[in-house]
Amino acid sequence: MTTPENASHFPGTPGMSVPLARRQLLFRKGRTLAGVAGIAAALLLVLALKAIFAGINDRLTAYIDESGADVIVAQQGVDTMHMTQSALPEGVVAALVAVPGVAEAKPILYVPAMIEGGEERGIVYLIGDDSGGAPLPLSAGRRPGAGEIVLERSLAERLGARIGSRVGAFGQSFRVSGEVEGLASILNSVAFVPRQELARVLGARGVVSYVLVRVRPDVDAAELTQVIETSVPGVTASTREAFARSERRVVGDMTTDIVRAMILVGFVIGVAVAGLVAYSATLSQLRDYAVLRALGLGARRALGLAAAQVGATVAASFLLALALAWMLATILPGLTPTLVLAIRTSDVAQALGVGAAVALTAAMFPVLRVARIDPASVFRR
Amino acid sequence: MESTLVRIRNLAKTFGDGDTRVEAVRGVDLDLARGEIVLVMGPSGSGKTTLLSMLGGLLCVTEGEIWVSGTNIAALGERELPPFRARTFGFIFQDFNLIAALSARENVEVALNIAGQSGRAARERAVELLEGLGTGDRLDFPIEKLSGGEKQRVAIARAIANQPVLILADEPTANLDSHHGAETMRLLRELTKEEGTTVVIVSHDDRLREVADRVLWLEDGQFRTLLALARDPVCGMLIDPADAPASIEHDGSTLYFCSRGCREQYEQDVVAARSKVSGQTAQYATDVADARPSS
Repeated sequence: MTTPENASHFPGTPGMSVPLARRQLLFRKGRTLAGVAGIAAALLLVLALKAIFAGINDRLTAYIDESGADVIVAQQGVDTMHMTQSALPEGVVAALVAVPGVAEAKPILYVPAMIEGGEERGIVYLIGDDSGGAPLPLSAGRRPGAGEIVLERSLAERLGARIGSRVGAFGQSFRVSGEVEGLASILNSVAFVPRQELARVLGARGVVSYVLVRVRPDVDAAELTQVIETSVPGVTASTREAFARSERRVVGDMTTDIVRAMILVGFVIGVAVAGLVAYSATLSQLRDYAVLRALGLGARRALGLAAAQVGATVAASFLLALALAWMLATILPGLTPTLVLAIRTSDVAQALGVGAAVALTAAMFPVLRVARIDPASVFRR
Repeated sequence: MESTLVRIRNLAKTFGDGDTRVEAVRGVDLDLARGEIVLVMGPSGSGKTTLLSMLGGLLCVTEGEIWVSGTNIAALGERELPPFRARTFGFIFQDFNLIAALSARENVEVALNIAGQSGRAARERAVELLEGLGTGDRLDFPIEKLSGGEKQRVAIARAIANQPVLILADEPTANLDSHHGAETMRLLRELTKEEGTTVVIVSHDDRLREVADRVLWLEDGQFRTLLALARDPVCGMLIDPADAPASIEHDGSTLYFCSRGCREQYEQDVVAARSKVSGQTAQYATDVADARPSS
């Protein structure tokens, strides 16, 4: 007779030609679809949140990105606009023009303001700009003259203001002369008035907030910032990219905890749904697993079978969530122009990571259950 | 080739401990020859299924050895048992235990896959087996669309797919009508003749005695000699005279009953018979007893 040691030398079982995991998933289509939908909803929550905040970030710096400035000069120690005040003497403009490498220096006044139109109100970055927002293109109307204002289109729609309508800010009435597009987010909007008009309203004559500097073609903007800070006292100069980055960071710092909390909620919901789906699906198949174990399926392969089903469910959920997020990103801006969803590869990769973590965590539930299956249970009735 | 396929020595299985300790199987010794059909009968809770589970390597033994084809499966580890089961045993379950998500063919094929045969070869083997068992026209049918008899044939095809040396059948005719039950018995008989497969059947079905080479009686976890057992004249149950809860002396011999209820029933029948036909009581009582179902 052979010893038990001899008996252990059986060849390994090759791949199954019966697609067991697929068959089991498709056998109860309703249950599988409900599970996929549940997990997809949780992943969509994560993806959509990331896309919404990415969209907000994009729009947040849209004015800076499109302003035409290579370098933005602010009061010393200031490199943002959001929740920030910057005040420079008007004479700084002439000093900047005198710096070698500066092609143009355009002063702007900036103040957060509440624009009112009828019963509606909206928060804006109110920019006092002698060029009326140029080089940003107007989508309608003309640049603002004295007593006039250019609004972002979505805000104008919300306020019910058309070209020629009147809106209010700081207790003053402004006639809408034109519209710009693509500068509004769900957080704020942008509006332009003549700089001197805003200075008069604010009582801030002889003061500018920022100076938008264009550099000569042969000059490096980053190097020029150093030259400006050395040549002009009391200022901080930032390249457009660095200024936008700081701006996004400020808003990010204010919202990161909320975003993280919401993503955590999405993750927990995803794990809970995926775990419940996987666990209940496995429970309904326990007898099958016991039969397969009795027929000689090893514990590892049984676990692999359970994990494969969870993996396939989560993969399908991820694709569904991605498709839904893309649909939202396409449809939502048409319905609410201020809500822009920017789906970024890094966010998709992160959601995929969350999905994989969900799958791995959720797979633990059925895997532990399958691992405890007693193959002798096939004889119980 | 050695004629003994299975050798069981001093096999015991205990569940629980302390007050809840149950000795399901106690010191069982058994040899099974190649090509033999052994029917294990016994009352519910006698340890039949526990014995079958241990014999199939599905349940750890508490004590003893089970040698199958020269391997003591009681000593095999958790990693060695599954491949051994796949190639050595075929299982036939009372409830068929077919996988509902798979077709008839796939149910057979999956057993071949588990044992290491896959692809076209496995498919062809599954088809060949099902056609051989008369279910060739149901290959791609979902299990739920098959009749009880067809399901049992698929289960038998799955059990023999890997040409096991030992088939373990748990109540194989319990869910079948008499026609399909007889057909299952015929199939099991043919298997042993053609393939030399040993079959162990656990059942309450007396009809299976017809195909069995040996009938074993398991009671309280131990095999009893059938000749030493008495049959309750009322319900037909086989009982050990030493443990019979009731008995009476009748015409110079002792009748044993499985319960006091059966004895009282017997006595009532005798009294009733006496009141109808005076002088022929004994004969009538015998007739009454004989007329009771034997199982």
